[in-house]
Amino acid sequence: MFDFDATLPLMALQFVLLTFLLNAVFFKPISKTIDERDGYIRTSKSSTAEYLKEAEKLAKQYEQELADSRKQAQQVIAQAQAEAKDSVDKQIAQAQAEAQQQREQVQKELDQQKQEAFRTLEGQVDSLSQQILGKLLGAPAA
Amino acid sequence: MLSLLHFDVLPLAELEVGHHFYWHLGGLKVHGQVFMTSWFVIGLLLLVSVLATRNMQRVPKGLQNLMEYVFEFVRDIAKNQLGEKEYRPWLPFIGTLFLFIFVSNWSGALLPWHVIEIPEGELAAPTGDINTTVALALLTSLAYFYAGFKKRGLGYFAKYIEPTPILLPIAILEDFTKPLSLSFRLFGNILADELVVAVLVLLVPLFVPLPVMMLGLFTSAIQALVFATLAAAYIHEALEGHGDEGHEEHA
Repeated sequence: MFDFDATLPLMALQFVLLTFLLNAVFFKPISKTIDERDGYIRTSKSSTAEYLKEAEKLAKQYEQELADSRKQAQQVIAQAQAEAKDSVDKQIAQAQAEAQQQREQVQKELDQQKQEAFRTLEGQVDSLSQQILGKLLGAPAA
Repeated sequence: MLSLLHFDVLPLAELEVGHHFYWHLGGLKVHGQVFMTSWFVIGLLLLVSVLATRNMQRVPKGLQNLMEYVFEFVRDIAKNQLGEKEYRPWLPFIGTLFLFIFVSNWSGALLPWHVIEIPEGELAAPTGDINTTVALALLTSLAYFYAGFKKRGLGYFAKYIEPTPILLPIAILEDFTKPLSLSFRLFGNILADELVVAVLVLLVPLFVPLPVMMLGLFTSAIQALVFATLAAAYIHEALEGHGDEGHEEHA
C-alpha cells in the first residue's frame, strides 16, 4: 500500500504541468471573460444612470415649461375675461346713460306738453268762465 | 505486498490492494494504473475547459455557464482563505488542486474502472494511491514555502520563533505534519471508501452498497474541498506570518 516510487515525482511534475495548462485554457480565459462582463455591466450601469439623470432633467424641464404655459394660458384667459367684463360694463353703462337721457327728454317733453296744455286750458278757463258767467247772468237777465 | 481479500471463487467482485501494474522507465518503476486514470482525469479537465472557453460569450450558456460556476466556486475557496488582495496568483494552483482531486475522486466513485482489465492490479481513482496524494501534499508545502519566501524573504523564518522561541520545535514539526496529514487524509478517505464499497459488493452485490456509494460520493467531494481549502489556508498562513498579523494590520 505504501510503496513509494517514481510515480510520486512524475505525478508532481504532471500536476504542475496540469496547473499551467489549466491556467492557460481555463482560469485565464474565464477570469478575463468575467472581468470583461463586470466591466461591461459597470459601464452600462453608469451610462444608464447618466441617461436616467438626463431623462429626469428633461422631464423636469418639460414640466416646468408645461406649468409656465399653463400659467400663461390662465393669464390670457383672465385678461380676456377682464376685457370682456370691461366692455360689457361700459356698454351697460352707456345703455343706461342713454336710457336715462331718453327718459329725461321724454319727461321734459311731457312736462312741456303738460304746461302747454295747462296754458291753453288757462286761456280757455277765462272764456269758459265768461260763458258760464254770461249764461248764469244772462238767463236770469233774459 | 498486501492483499487483503482475494476471492477467486467469486468472480463478481474482487478486491486487490497493493497490486500494481508496474511500468519500467529506465531503472524506475512507476504505477501504470495510476497514470492511466490520472491521464483520463487530466484529459477530461482539459477537454471540458477547452470546449467551454473555446467560444466565450458575454451571456454565458451551456458548458461555459457550468465552467464559470466551477470557476467561481474554486475562486471563492481561494478568496475566502487568502483574501481579496492575495488570491489571484494562487488561484490556478488551488483551483487545479480542487478540480484534479474532485474529478479523480468522482471518477473512482462513478466510473466502473474495475471493469477494464489490465495485466495486474486494477484501475481506480488516482487519489487512492499514496504517491499521488503525497505528490500533491509536497507541492502544497513547496507552494507555501515559496509564498512565504517571496513575500517576506528570509524574514519568513521569523515565524518559527515569532510568538516565542519555545514553540520552535512545534513550528518545525508543523512543516512535516502538514503534508503528512494532507496526504494521508485524502489517501485514507478515498482508499477506505473504495474498500468499504468493494467489501459490501463482495458480501451483497445488489442495492445494499448503494447508500455507502452515495456516502462515498459525498466524502470524495468533501475531501477535495478540504484539501484545496487547507492548501489555501497554509499559503495564507505563510503570507501573513504567525505572530505579526497584529503588527501588519497597524502598519
